Amino acid sequence: MSFEKESFNQISPSEFFYRNRDLAGFSNPTRSIYTSIRELVENSLDACDQKGILPNISINITSVNQQQSDPKYYILTVSDNGPGIDPKHIPLAFGTVLYGSKFGLKQARGMFGLGATMAILYGQITTNTPVHVTSSIDGHNQHEYEMLLDIQKNKPIITKHVIRKTTKKGLTISICLEGDYSKAGSKIRDYIYQTSLITPYASIKFNDPKGNQYKYDKITKSIPPPPTIIKPHPYGIDVETLRRLIHDTRYKVPSFNKNILEKIYKELQIHHNLHYDNYEILRTIKKRWSYLSTQTKTLLSIMLCLKLNFDQTLRIKVDDIDIINNTLTYWDYDQSKSITIKLDKSNFYYKYLAKEAKGDTLAMFLTKQFQRVGRHTAEKFSEFAQFKPEKRIMLMTNQELVYLSDSLQKFTDFLSPDHSCLAPLGETLLSKGIKKFFNPDFMFVIQRKASAYSGFPFIVELGVAYGGSIKGTKLYRFANRIPLLYDESSDVVFKIINDIDWNRYKIKNDSPLIIVSHICSTRIPYKTVGKENVADRNEIERELKLALQFLARKLSSYMSKKGKAAMEKKRVDLYFTYIPLISKFCTELSNNEKEPNYKKIFNEIK
Amino acid sequence: MKYKETKKNKLLSDLLRNHGVKIYDDLDQGIFPKFLIPSRSTRNIIYDKKLRQYVLGNNASIRNSKNISQLRSFTQLTWLAFFANRLIKEKKSSTLRDIYYSSQAFSIDFEDQPESDNIIVDLESVLSRPREDLHIFPEERSSIFGDLVIEYTVPGYEGKRTNLSDHPDGYLIGPSLSSAELIETSANLVIAIEKGGLFTRFVEEQVDKKFKSIIIDTAGQAPRSTRYLLRRLHDELNLPVVILTDGDVYGEHIAMVIKSGSANAAHLRELTVPDAKWMGVWASDIEKYKLPTIPMTESDVKRIHDLKKDPRYQQGIWKSELDVFLKLKRKAELEAFSKYGLTNITDKYLPQKLELSKSL
Repeated sequence: MSFEKESFNQISPSEFFYRNRDLAGFSNPTRSIYTSIRELVENSLDACDQKGILPNISINITSVNQQQSDPKYYILTVSDNGPGIDPKHIPLAFGTVLYGSKFGLKQARGMFGLGATMAILYGQITTNTPVHVTSSIDGHNQHEYEMLLDIQKNKPIITKHVIRKTTKKGLTISICLEGDYSKAGSKIRDYIYQTSLITPYASIKFNDPKGNQYKYDKITKSIPPPPTIIKPHPYGIDVETLRRLIHDTRYKVPSFNKNILEKIYKELQIHHNLHYDNYEILRTIKKRWSYLSTQTKTLLSIMLCLKLNFDQTLRIKVDDIDIINNTLTYWDYDQSKSITIKLDKSNFYYKYLAKEAKGDTLAMFLTKQFQRVGRHTAEKFSEFAQFKPEKRIMLMTNQELVYLSDSLQKFTDFLSPDHSCLAPLGETLLSKGIKKFFNPDFMFVIQRKASAYSGFPFIVELGVAYGGSIKGTKLYRFANRIPLLYDESSDVVFKIINDIDWNRYKIKNDSPLIIVSHICSTRIPYKTVGKENVADRNEIERELKLALQFLARKLSSYMSKKGKAAMEKKRVDLYFTYIPLISKFCTELSNNEKEPNYKKIFNEIK
Repeated sequence: MKYKETKKNKLLSDLLRNHGVKIYDDLDQGIFPKFLIPSRSTRNIIYDKKLRQYVLGNNASIRNSKNISQLRSFTQLTWLAFFANRLIKEKKSSTLRDIYYSSQAFSIDFEDQPESDNIIVDLESVLSRPREDLHIFPEERSSIFGDLVIEYTVPGYEGKRTNLSDHPDGYLIGPSLSSAELIETSANLVIAIEKGGLFTRFVEEQVDKKFKSIIIDTAGQAPRSTRYLLRRLHDELNLPVVILTDGDVYGEHIAMVIKSGSANAAHLRELTVPDAKWMGVWASDIEKYKLPTIPMTESDVKRIHDLKKDPRYQQGIWKSELDVFLKLKRKAELEAFSKYGLTNITDKYLPQKLELSKSL
């Protein structure tokens, strides 16, 4: 009896996404054409936002063969007036998956720069045609690339590269893909409509395959300040993130090479050609120790701990110094294997190494790695968590790390996160958009203070509009200025709205009510890669709830005012209805011919 | 006799017109008109020992057309007065349900019949007159049989006479019978029975002839038109009234309502027969006549305790029978006599009780 041998192959990210394209919103021709437009438009808006450019975006969809019925091939072109992409980055940016400029901590519509490449990948899979990318970063030279993706190798194949003269900066991407516009059309139009609502400083033009044009001009010329990249906030950092941050600050053991050895000789003031015996070298080192650089001291300590001579140091590479177990691990080039040796704790040079490798103190780690943490806060936190502020971060055990993470969650005196990395729209711009789009009788917007979940700062902006041209109740959801159109019912905002007892605020079912929600964060906790619904995180839920309750109260006081006016009108109407009836009845009852002059009575009620 | 009915209508018309004039004058002077309505809340219902019935106290509420929450019901009340006036003038009658529907022709909107019924009671209170005087009747269900000649006053039948023993199923006590003049009778007794089945038995057994009586089926709690007729038979023809009910607490109360009215009609007079006598079936008869019984329900017992607080149940057979019921915790129906033969009730029980009731 034998087991069949399983084979393990690594697959490239391109291949992974090719196999799992449903996850990214490319499950069928309808969804795919919609997602492709979104990804391209969002990339353009992001690029303009970063540079503070008022975006002019033009979207064109044309069908390759008019007569054919859906699903069929469409050419999708999105152009912007943004900064463009440096021509030397274009092949990698659009020809590989998971290559992007968006991995830092700042708010952007896209998260990893994955979407555009996915759209290109999808186009290539369905139509086997290359993508066209045209870019100009200086407004003089324009580079046009035509390329395909090598899915297995995750590499671009450039089929054409032309340079032309131009007068405009910006980027144009053109993809040929299989889509179903007759089904996706209304979603695409909704998307563009809502995008211009949440981006009132952008002009967006859309030419659909049927020859219709949809045009949304900018309502304002003020653009919210572009976000900056920042460190994470300590609140809500989980153990895994903590471990990664510690790893990043970990002591990096320098490696030996000929140049470094030359430097060491120089510092020791010895000549490498001369052969010193070990004793002499040791004596020189001891003599010159206090004059030596940190790196030299470290390398010499390693050499002496391992009892090597200078030449031998070139045959090894130190991988790790484990100061908890007093071991050192290195790769021996001669033996081609990793060796771990136990070191003598009392050795002077080991002590030096250990001190270096212990890493930052807790207080230093906190101030260096997180935003809004100064010396004072770090010390206060240490006291709260019952750690010594001078405790070395590398010496922390697993349990201590878990406890540290727990304490970070519980400590309430951290300043609220720096939201300079966020780009909320702001109450003024949001109001302008809502006013222009819905022409309501009443509206109110609120921007909550920045808060954080799992160390990611976020801001909730919410607006309500009532009456006027509004018909029925509708929710407009946005996240990082992206409209969310699908799966409304599983979204956190939807949940919060449904949890509220609207009767208490005098709002009936199906009132002419619009709710606009905008969640900004360096990382929106989407439930899926397709960016359609925001997951329910307690911190976000709380902010949404407070914002909504605030607005509901405003709305409710508006409704009572309105209700009072309506009541007053109804009251007067009642007199006008009933008094004439009473008059008619009592005239016959009292055997009178003529009705009494009851008009006088109305003077009293007005 | 004929003159009496016309005079009554004239009085009522005048009463209604006075209210109309008051409202008319108020409106003409730019004043919001109002009605004064005696309060029918339990706190304002008191037992009048002299009248031997429940009456309303002095509390009254104002229904003001200026008050927006009363404006609608004020209009409804005015309309009802106006409509009742038309009914009287045109000698037409209307059922409670008719009122509810008629209102719609005058853009008076009653939400449901209970609302219009309530306004009718309001008008009764304002006028201290039963709705029957206003030619408004409930659906009839009560019947009468016996040697009694009546003369109709309703349009189309004016002057026409009928003997109420002409039809063996009895005559329905409806608007035309209620408004008829009572001409003559050979009877010297009125027997009111709670149940239609027994009423039929009594007609079959010729109780009317054997005991020289007029038999009335109250069909449960006697409707107002029936109570009003009983009152007239007693007052106008000097006939004593005896009442025969089931042997339970509800039966006892049916008799009491005929005798001294209900709290619901405390705003009205002339619906009671204070001299009426309850002759059975008493609780003590259950043992005496060895009647088959059924156990009382919880609500029966609760009802006994309620009635024991009523001032009318504080003495005589009213009190003693209630106590026996409470002791027995059992009840007997009129039909229980059938155990001893179908005619047992008319042959044995009735003569004995009639004899006994003379001494009550």
